[in-house]
Amino acid sequence: MNLQSETDAIQIKNLSVTYVAVAEVPVTERSKMRKTTKKHNIRALNNVSFTVKTGEIVGLIGGNGAGKSTLLKTMVGVLKPSSGQIDMWGQPHLLAPGMGFNRKLSGRENIILGGLAAGMTLEEVRNKQQSIVDFADIGGFIDLPTTTYSSGMFGRLAFAVATHVDPDILLIDEALSAGDAGFRDKAVAKVREMCDKAKTILVVSHSTALVGEMATSAVWLHRGEVKQQGLVGDVTESYVKFLADENETAQMDRLTPFLQSQHPQDQPQPEA
Amino acid sequence: MVSSDSRYATPVVSRRTTKTGVPPVREYLAQAFRYRTFAYYWSRADIKARNFETVLGRIWLTLNPFLFGLIYFVFVAILSGGGLGSSDRLAFIVGNLYAWGFFSATVITTVSSVQSGAGGILGQSAVPRIVLPVASTITAAHLFVRSLGAYIPLHLIASRGLHIEMLWMPLLILLTGLLGLGFGLFLAVINVYVRDVSRLLPHMMRLWLYLSPAIWVYTRVSTDSNLDTYARQNPMYSSLTAWTMAFGGPLVEGGRGMAIHVLVFGLWAIGTLTVGFLFFISREDEFAIRN
Repeated sequence: MNLQSETDAIQIKNLSVTYVAVAEVPVTERSKMRKTTKKHNIRALNNVSFTVKTGEIVGLIGGNGAGKSTLLKTMVGVLKPSSGQIDMWGQPHLLAPGMGFNRKLSGRENIILGGLAAGMTLEEVRNKQQSIVDFADIGGFIDLPTTTYSSGMFGRLAFAVATHVDPDILLIDEALSAGDAGFRDKAVAKVREMCDKAKTILVVSHSTALVGEMATSAVWLHRGEVKQQGLVGDVTESYVKFLADENETAQMDRLTPFLQSQHPQDQPQPEA
Repeated sequence: MVSSDSRYATPVVSRRTTKTGVPPVREYLAQAFRYRTFAYYWSRADIKARNFETVLGRIWLTLNPFLFGLIYFVFVAILSGGGLGSSDRLAFIVGNLYAWGFFSATVITTVSSVQSGAGGILGQSAVPRIVLPVASTITAAHLFVRSLGAYIPLHLIASRGLHIEMLWMPLLILLTGLLGLGFGLFLAVINVYVRDVSRLLPHMMRLWLYLSPAIWVYTRVSTDSNLDTYARQNPMYSSLTAWTMAFGGPLVEGGRGMAIHVLVFGLWAIGTLTVGFLFFISREDEFAIRN
């Protein structure tokens, strides 16, 4: 185990994550009576390296398909590295509202399930249960099955459970859109409170404004690679300029070169 | 994967690839053990969600295996052409089908436990995936023990009495659960790649039932050396023979005793669980991608 620094919270070294996806190639010619599929190795992350110091709030920015969520999932353990490594000084926790919930159970029962799934002990969940109920603010519905809830109510309860965890390393992946508009300010305030308690935070958001507001530094991922890292202001400025210049669809589409080689006649022709 | 270092206040977590794909087993099991309470509550939630906590649910839970056994009792009587037979035969079939039902339910629910998103756990959490099949096994064992109450009146009517072999039942329950879990883990991984497995599984289990001494007595093949040899290759042969003896069934004169059957059963259970477990944890990251 390489323990390079007592102030490092996360060390990512030459991390690559590749997974297999199956794509369908649509039949466009009448003579073909069957669809064809092809497996692709999607290199979601390619040789990513960066370090996060204890106490830092780092923003992860990039277009759709850049590998941001893949990185967080690999840190949490949902995905495995294909090569390279991640070392973390503390237990990572991905803020995932609704994780572990069973829709047939009541809200109160789901508080226990969700809290346990998030890594809390039973004692912690019981101690925080009333605080979670108060934060969700869904009244008597708390003892009814969550199948009777509106999407807003479910979102409130799910978010309430998710934000009562006290993690060492907090990972936030676009989780600030919970509940109804009236709940939004409360949700953002709660996340800020979590950030004050957590030792280290990684936050993914499409909103460069939100990242700029919350983070002290940023890492820009582009097509699975680190394009830039540094102070949040510098990185977000470069990213915004890049967005203005490039088509975002072209940024995320990594299958286009393969598909073009298989079916060149299917590709859109340039306008005259 | 967690290891501790005395220089630091909090434990270190590492994510790295291994040549075989199998993570460090001791650390994996330590991580899974942290979620033991979650496994128990997940099992309880499953039982409640399936309505086995209601009055009708409890009635169905006890009645279902009994009705299943009654159907096979009539089926076997028609095939053998010798009439319905005794209450002892009914008790034999029902008892073995209870045991078989527990094994089958463990396999099937283990496969399905990682087929769905499992409440977002597969795609979003650090919960070791083995926790979900273990919770399913706890559910199957819980339901089996609760349903055994319906067998007791039949046992008394058939005058099967009390036997020393009954003391093996707790161990048999454990080994049946382990064997089912092991097979289930193996098939769960295969099912992630080939979804048809879950559709074929009920038919495979039904065929396996007929090939196992559940509705036919194991003594039927013990006199034919070839049949006996083939029958013993079936992991459920020793299991169901042991269950038959535990429920008070016939013992072969001069044949293998209960302990031998339990030993062979135990070897099958531990071996299957070991293979299934290692295969499962080496492929568990595929569940998030392919589900």
